[in-house]
Amino acid sequence: MSNIKIKSKNLNVYYGDKQALFDVNLDLNEKEVTALIGPSGCGKSTFIRCINRMNDVIDICKVTGNIEMDGININDKDLDVVSLRERVGMVFQKPNPFPKSIYDNISYGPKIHGKGETKSELDQIVENSLKKSALWEEVKDRLDEPGTSLSGGQQQRLCIARAISVNPEVILMDEPCSALDPIATAKIEELIDELKKTYTIVIVTHSMAQAVRVSQKTGFFHLGKLIEVGKTEKIFKNPDNKMTQDYITGRFG
Amino acid sequence: MSNEHTVKSYEEELQFLKDSLIKMGSLTESQLSDAMDAVIKVDKDSIDKIIKSDEEINKFRSKIDTQIMNLLVKRAPMAIDLRETISSLKISQDLERIGDLSKSNAKKVKPLPLDLPDELLGNLKRLGELVMKQLNDVLDSYVNKNFDKAKEVWEKDEQVDDLTYIAMESVIDFLSKDKKNLDFSTHLIFATKNLERAGDHITNIAETVCYLVKGEYLKGSRPKGKVIQE
Repeated sequence: MSNIKIKSKNLNVYYGDKQALFDVNLDLNEKEVTALIGPSGCGKSTFIRCINRMNDVIDICKVTGNIEMDGININDKDLDVVSLRERVGMVFQKPNPFPKSIYDNISYGPKIHGKGETKSELDQIVENSLKKSALWEEVKDRLDEPGTSLSGGQQQRLCIARAISVNPEVILMDEPCSALDPIATAKIEELIDELKKTYTIVIVTHSMAQAVRVSQKTGFFHLGKLIEVGKTEKIFKNPDNKMTQDYITGRFG
Repeated sequence: MSNEHTVKSYEEELQFLKDSLIKMGSLTESQLSDAMDAVIKVDKDSIDKIIKSDEEINKFRSKIDTQIMNLLVKRAPMAIDLRETISSLKISQDLERIGDLSKSNAKKVKPLPLDLPDELLGNLKRLGELVMKQLNDVLDSYVNKNFDKAKEVWEKDEQVDDLTYIAMESVIDFLSKDKKNLDFSTHLIFATKNLERAGDHITNIAETVCYLVKGEYLKGSRPKGKVIQE
């Protein structure tokens, strides 16, 4: 039985008058991949943005209820958001490397978090992060080239390397493959398989097949509510909820 | 909320698969019934027709295989659609095997004498009627997605076993009265055994229907009646 890394209890999110999440109760297991699926605007991205307090940057956003990591309330106003984001990395839909060299893309995070004080320590972090993100062999001879000179798939792996360079515990992925071709997607999925040995991963995806391939647990959101959550195999073979079944089989009207 | 797929052609492909399977089922039913009649009436004229209809059933099987491959590749079906697709594959295999057994029974008519005593064929006839009823019921349960009916068929296989035992005994009794009966009695024993095997395939279909409807396999082992030692 896996440990629960993140636990949300009656989590509600409002953007001004509009409620985006309704009493979401969802546990994310440690060192496991949880996939979140549902139609656009159903609240899955809003949910993962609660895990690293990304919603803080939206003025009109209000979060109520509980969301805990290792038993500590993430929503606590006194919590140090910078150190939270060190523990919870994020990868977005579109690869977004900094307009800097490949090396600097990786070393930037450790530097500002006070990790890797010497050049050789930083070199080590860069190499390890690129190796973990399965990019090292492809870029080791051109670390000073701009990150943006890489292909889309490589850029996304660079962003994953950047996320893991500060040694987080959780990685949030918001549709990380939606802009990638099948081979680049396969590489990211292979990487996710590897990364889950070390990190707790949450992935938002519109690809049912991807959710089945990469995750152990799947949650289905609709109109801000978590409709069903369970083992991925169960959700895709025999879901309990009719709405889940209609969504995953493409019957959503 | 709508029950239809957003993609109409997907809906049509699934419906087409179900229709093909139902047609294959009804063809298998007719063939089983014809083969039984041929044995009971020792009707040698119908043998060729029955063998021919087996070819039709086999064609359906490969047509259904192709439909399933296309569905898997094009649609990557999930949940109920996945179960529907996989179940069709399994059911079509069982139907094809039932077809083979009926063909085999039709072939056994050739060496039978025309004056077989009624008491010899009575039990075989009852067995054939039961297997026919089972096939009819299991196909109904598939069409209507009726879990309880499929489970009933599954449980009734015990009766098929019992009747097989009785039918076998009557043939063996007949055989032991006069060694001259050996040749064609052996054919009757095989025909009886074929019906029992058809019953097993029907039980497989019943299990598949239960899985299709509820997404879970039936628990426990199959009910078993008396069995002739092989």
